[in-house]
Amino acid sequence: MAAETAAAERWIEEFRRATDEDPEIQAHGKYYSCSYLLDMEEHSYLVKMHGGKVEEILVDPGPLDDRYQFALRASAGTWRKFGEEVPEPMYHGIWSASFQRDLKLEGDLLVLMQNLRCFTRQFELLRKTGVPV
Amino acid sequence: MAQFSPVTGRYVTIDVLGDECKVFFLENGEGQPLVCQHTAGCHNHQWRDLLEDEEITSRYRVIAYDLARHGKSDPPRNKEWWKEEYRLTADYYTAFIVAFCDALELEEPIFMGSSFGGNVALQLALRHPDRFKAVIPVEAAEYSPGFFLDWWQHPQANAAQVCASGVWDLMAPQSPEKDRWATWFYYTQGSEAFRGDLYFYSVDHDLRGKLDQIDGEKCPVIMLTGDYDYLTTPEDSKRTADQIRGGEFIEMEGIGHFPMSENYPLFKRYLQQALRRIEERTGARAG
Repeated sequence: MAAETAAAERWIEEFRRATDEDPEIQAHGKYYSCSYLLDMEEHSYLVKMHGGKVEEILVDPGPLDDRYQFALRASAGTWRKFGEEVPEPMYHGIWSASFQRDLKLEGDLLVLMQNLRCFTRQFELLRKTGVPV
Repeated sequence: MAQFSPVTGRYVTIDVLGDECKVFFLENGEGQPLVCQHTAGCHNHQWRDLLEDEEITSRYRVIAYDLARHGKSDPPRNKEWWKEEYRLTADYYTAFIVAFCDALELEEPIFMGSSFGGNVALQLALRHPDRFKAVIPVEAAEYSPGFFLDWWQHPQANAAQVCASGVWDLMAPQSPEKDRWATWFYYTQGSEAFRGDLYFYSVDHDLRGKLDQIDGEKCPVIMLTGDYDYLTTPEDSKRTADQIRGGEFIEMEGIGHFPMSENYPLFKRYLQQALRRIEERTGARAG
């Protein structure tokens, strides 16, 4: 359990650094402010973005701990495939995996669409950081 | 020393079911006409590398047009188009392509299109098997629901970015980054047409139960689909080709829904296979 917690903390720091130092997100993320949940079956992560920077990431938030605007939910196996350097077909994005695999897009999808450019880039950073499940 | 491309651009005005359409097209090469249709909400720059590929243009006259409302082809000039919702239909789309080929006096052109251009290639094979030597439907299927969405034009989102990043996953992650970004860039330019194009792609185009009416012996149908295409999967295209008399399907590995634009060198290998099959089956050498 302690090892898992440490792994989650490591991932949070890597994902934060990858985001905050990403040239694309920093060039275009001036208004990239929103909060979303990554539900990876075994664990979930609530990411809060502000002005293109990671403001906070909560691990396994409790039922009433905080709020988010949209959520991505999929099995842990699907998330592991998202995190591969070159994902196999249908695991190469949120559109492909929601059309053809078990990814569910939930919540206020307008917020996702409003931030689609930066979110798409940030999601692909998982190929560098790996996923914490 | 200035570097001029051998590709030239021209306009031709055609009548499409009463619409006056001034059509912009790029072309290069000599020999067998090869008419190329871009994907929904995009324009003819998707064919930029094919147009400058001497190995192809030495034997084929490659022509890539912009459909009306795309790229440099304006909406119909004789109509108050701004008072209507744009919804492309199979009737209009096929009439446009035949009128364009007639205007250029093309004899037995091969028609190739990707995505909604691939679906219309199937429509052409069904409706006009005498007008085309063969068709190459790329990323096509008999039916492709699910993409006629309001998100493409939602007033509270940036339509240019929604369209461009919304189709990002249609490309394979290993396709060259600069070519994926060029394709992304083209997609920021076409949001007003994209949704209406997808009316054809996902709604009006429905050849389920009609594929046996396509004579793929008379007009060979050689289908190409990439394995990273989540909208029209290789299984969808194979199922379609299997129902067409004389239909053929070639799966493309490591490429997605915009193959000619996202990774031309890889696409070219499969295109050459398709062109060879057409030569073998029609008994005619190009060029």
